[in-house]
Amino acid sequence: MTHLLTLIVVLPLLGAVLNGFFATQLRSTPFGKPFVTVVGCALPILSFLLVVRGFLELSATGGMPLIETAYTWARIGGRSFEIAFYFDRLSAVMALIVTGVGSVIHIYSIGYMHDDKSYARFFAYLNLFLFFMLSLVLGRSLLVLFVGWEGVGLASYLLVGFWFDDPANAAAGKKAFITNRIGDAGFLLGMFLLYWAFGTLDMDKINAAFTSGAAPMISASLAGVLLFIGASGKSAQIPLHVWLPDAMAGPTPVSALIHAATMVTAGVYLVARMSGLYLQAPEASMVVAVIGAATAFFAATIAVTQSDIKKVLAYSTVSQLGFMFVALGVGAYGVGIFHVYTHAFFKACLFLGAGSVIHALGGEQDIRKMGGLAKKIPVTFSTFAIATAAIAGIPPLAGFWSKDEILWNAFASSAGGSPVLWAVMAATALMTAFYMFRLLWLVFLTPSRMEPKVAHHVHESPLSMTGVLMILAALSAVGGFVALPHFLEPLLPMAKTPEALHHFEMPLLILSVAIALAGLAGAWFVYGGGTERSARLAARFASLHRTLYNKYFVDEAYDHLIGRPLVWLSDRVFLNLGDRVVLDGSLNGLARLAQRTAGVFSRVQTGNLHLYALFVLAGSIAVLAWSFRHG
Amino acid sequence: MDKTQLLLLLAVALFALGLVGVIVRRNLLVMLMCMELMLNGVNLSLVTFAQQTGTAAGAVLVFLIFVVAAAEIAIAIPIVLVLVRRKRTLEADAFADLKG
Amino acid sequence: MIEHLLQNLDALLLAVFGVSALVAAALMLVLRHPMQVAMALISTMVFLGGIYGLLGVHFIAAFQVLIYVSAVMVFMVYVIMLLDVRDPSFTRRFSTLLVPGTVGGVLLLAVLAYALWRGLYAPASTTVSFGLQQFSIAFLNEYWLHFELTSVLLVAAVVAALAVIKLTRKKHG
Repeated sequence: MTHLLTLIVVLPLLGAVLNGFFATQLRSTPFGKPFVTVVGCALPILSFLLVVRGFLELSATGGMPLIETAYTWARIGGRSFEIAFYFDRLSAVMALIVTGVGSVIHIYSIGYMHDDKSYARFFAYLNLFLFFMLSLVLGRSLLVLFVGWEGVGLASYLLVGFWFDDPANAAAGKKAFITNRIGDAGFLLGMFLLYWAFGTLDMDKINAAFTSGAAPMISASLAGVLLFIGASGKSAQIPLHVWLPDAMAGPTPVSALIHAATMVTAGVYLVARMSGLYLQAPEASMVVAVIGAATAFFAATIAVTQSDIKKVLAYSTVSQLGFMFVALGVGAYGVGIFHVYTHAFFKACLFLGAGSVIHALGGEQDIRKMGGLAKKIPVTFSTFAIATAAIAGIPPLAGFWSKDEILWNAFASSAGGSPVLWAVMAATALMTAFYMFRLLWLVFLTPSRMEPKVAHHVHESPLSMTGVLMILAALSAVGGFVALPHFLEPLLPMAKTPEALHHFEMPLLILSVAIALAGLAGAWFVYGGGTERSARLAARFASLHRTLYNKYFVDEAYDHLIGRPLVWLSDRVFLNLGDRVVLDGSLNGLARLAQRTAGVFSRVQTGNLHLYALFVLAGSIAVLAWSFRHG
Repeated sequence: MDKTQLLLLLAVALFALGLVGVIVRRNLLVMLMCMELMLNGVNLSLVTFAQQTGTAAGAVLVFLIFVVAAAEIAIAIPIVLVLVRRKRTLEADAFADLKG
Repeated sequence: MIEHLLQNLDALLLAVFGVSALVAAALMLVLRHPMQVAMALISTMVFLGGIYGLLGVHFIAAFQVLIYVSAVMVFMVYVIMLLDVRDPSFTRRFSTLLVPGTVGGVLLLAVLAYALWRGLYAPASTTVSFGLQQFSIAFLNEYWLHFELTSVLLVAAVVAALAVIKLTRKKHG
C-alpha cells in the first residue's frame, strides 16, 4: 500500500486539526462531545490498524525496511533534506506500542476527562502528541526525528500545563520544556557533527557507515555522548531528570501516555536506533550505562519515601528508564527495547489505575489519606496489583522477563557488564519491588485513613476506564512471552557474553526472583498492619528520610547555582545596564542632542527685518564672489 | 569704460543703494521706497541689455516688472497700514514678534 | 564749442541724468522725513526715465513716468501724508545695523564693479532703437503667456486687496 507510513503519521494530525478547529463551533450543539470523542479516538485506532498492516507487510518481506519519502523539505546547495519515513522491525515495535497504548489511553480519557470543560482541547492535544511521536519513531533522518522530538516536547508542555489556570501547572509545563531544550543543545551539536562527517542525516546510512568502518575523522564517542545528552533530557536521566516529577501536574492520562509509555522512551529509542554508532563508541556506551545505573538507583531511593501516588510512579519511571539505558550501555539494545515494551504496559496500567483511584476519591492524591480501597474498587485494585507484580519482577509476568535480561546483561556483557553494575541494578530492583508493594499496601490494603466525606463517595470508575485497565493488566501479564530481543536480533545484535560466565545464568535468575519476593515481603512486613511501623522507621532515620523525601534537594541546588545567577545577570546587566543605560540612554541622548542643536540654530530668527536683509546681502555677495572666481 | 559699462555701473549702484537702504533705515515706508529703488536699478540694467541685443525680450521684461512693482506696492502699503494700526508706530523693530 | 557740446548732447545729458539719479538715490538714504525721501525717489525715477528716453526706448520712458511716478509714488505720498505719525523713527533714522550694512553695500558694489571691469557680460553689437510697434508685436506674439500670467498676478493682487479691506473692516466692526 503506497503512502502507508505517511498515512500512519498524518491521521492523528488530522484528528488534532479537526478537534482543534471545529470542536469549539460544535460545542454548544448536542453532538459536540461525541464528535470530539469519535474523531479523537477513531483516528489513533485507525493508525494502529495501519501499523499492524505495515507490520504484516514487513514480516512478509522478511524484515526488509519500508522506506517512503513524503516531501522534499529543502534543497540547499547540492544537498536535499527530505521528510522520509522508515519502517523496520525496531520502528514497527515502537509504532505498535505508541499507537496501541496510545489508542487505549484515548479511550480511557473519554471517561476520565468527561466532565472537564476543555474536553475538545485535550483530545486535540493528545492527537497532536501522537502525530509527533509517530513522526519521531518513523522518521528516517535525524532531522525528521528531531521535528518529532521537539513536537512531543511541545505537546508535553501543552498537556502538562493543561489546567493552566493554576500557575503551578503552567510552571511545571515550562520546566519540562526548558529542561528538554537544554538536552536538545547536545542533540543538535551531535547532529551537526554527524552531518559534517557524513553529509547526510539518514540514520540507516549513518549506522551503515559506522558499521562498515567508513567513518571518517570524527570521534564516535563524541557524537554518542552529544546525542545521549539529548536523550537524557527527553528521558529524564541525571542531571536533567528534574522535570518529570513536576510534570505530574498534568491530567493522569497524559502522565500515562507521555511520561510513562511513549515520550520518555524516545531517548531510549534514539540510542537503540543509533546502535551502529554506539557499537563503535565504547566510551559513550560506558557513559550511558553509568548514568543509567546512577539514575535508576537514585530515583528508586527517592520513590521509597514519596507520599503522592503519582510522584511515586514518576520516580519509578525515572528509575525504570535508567534500567533501559543500562541495557543500552552494555550493548544489549534489543533487551532495552524489550523493557520499553513491557514497561509501557505495566506503567500505563499503574498510572491509569492511579487515575482511577484519584477519580474514585474525588481528586485526592496523597497516599497518607488513602487505604482500604481493595474491597471498594476491586477492578482497579486487581489490575493495579497485577501491574505492581509485573514491575516488581515476579514471574511469569512481563516485567520479570525484561528485567531479568537486563540484570543478566549488566553482569555478563563483554561490552561493559560487571558484577558492580549488577549489584547496583539488583539493589535498585529490590527497592523497586519494595516501594511498589508499599504503594499497593498503603493505597489499597491498609486500614482506611480517608476523610469521611471522601470515603462516602468512593465508586468504581466507568467501563471506558476499567476496560482499558483490564486490557493493560492482561498485557502486563502475558506480554513477556513474546521474545522481542530475538525478533529484533537481525537489526540489533545481542550483546556478547563470554562462555565462562554462562554458568552464572541460572543462579542469577533465581536471585532475581528472590529479590522480587524479598521486596514483597519487606513491604508486607513494614506496611502490613498499617503505618505505625513505617512511622517509627522514618523517625529512626529522620535525616535520611528528610533528604530522600526532598529529592536530595536537587531542585533547590539548581535554583541557587543556576537560576538565581541568571536572573541577577538578566536584571542587573542586561536590563539595567544594557537596555536602560546603553540603549535608552543613547536614544534619549540623540534626541536631546537634536533638541539642543535646534535650540541653538533657532536663535538666528531674531524677528529683526534688517538682519534678514543683511543676510540676503551677505549671501548674494558670497554667491557672486564665488561665481566670479571661476568665471 | 564705454557707455554700457557706465550705465550698468549706475544700475548696480542703484541696486546696492536700495539694498543698503533696506538694511540701514528704520522707518517702514522708507524701507519700502528703497525696495522700489532696487527695482529701478534692475530696470535700468535690463533696458541697457535690451538696447544692446536689439531684441524685444528685455523691454518686455521691463514692462512686466512695472506691472509687478505696481501690484506689489498696491498690497504692501495696505499691509503696512494694518500693521501700523496694530502697533501705533512705524519702526521696523516693533514688528519682531516672529522671533525664535 | 557750442557745436562740440551740441554734437555730444546725448552723452552730456546722459552723464547729467546719470549723476543726478545717483545723487538723488544717495540722498534717499540720509534724508529724515519720509516725504523728503519720497521726493528724492521721484526725482531718481524721473531721471531714469530721461535716461531711457536718451537710450531710445521712449515708450518705456513713458511707462516709467506713468506707472512708477504717477501711480506708485503718488500712492506712496498719499500714505505718507495719511500716516504722519510723530514717530521716534524721525529722530533715530538708522537701524542698529548701520555699519554692517554700509560695509556690505560697499562690498557688493566692489564685487559687481569687478565683474563689470572684467567684462563678464556680452559686449555691445550696435545701438538699436526700437519703437512701440515692434514692442507690442513681440509682446503679444511671443510673450503672450507672460502677459496672461501677469494678468493672473493682478487678479491675485485684487483679491489680496479685498482681503486686507475685509480685515480692516472687521476691526472696526
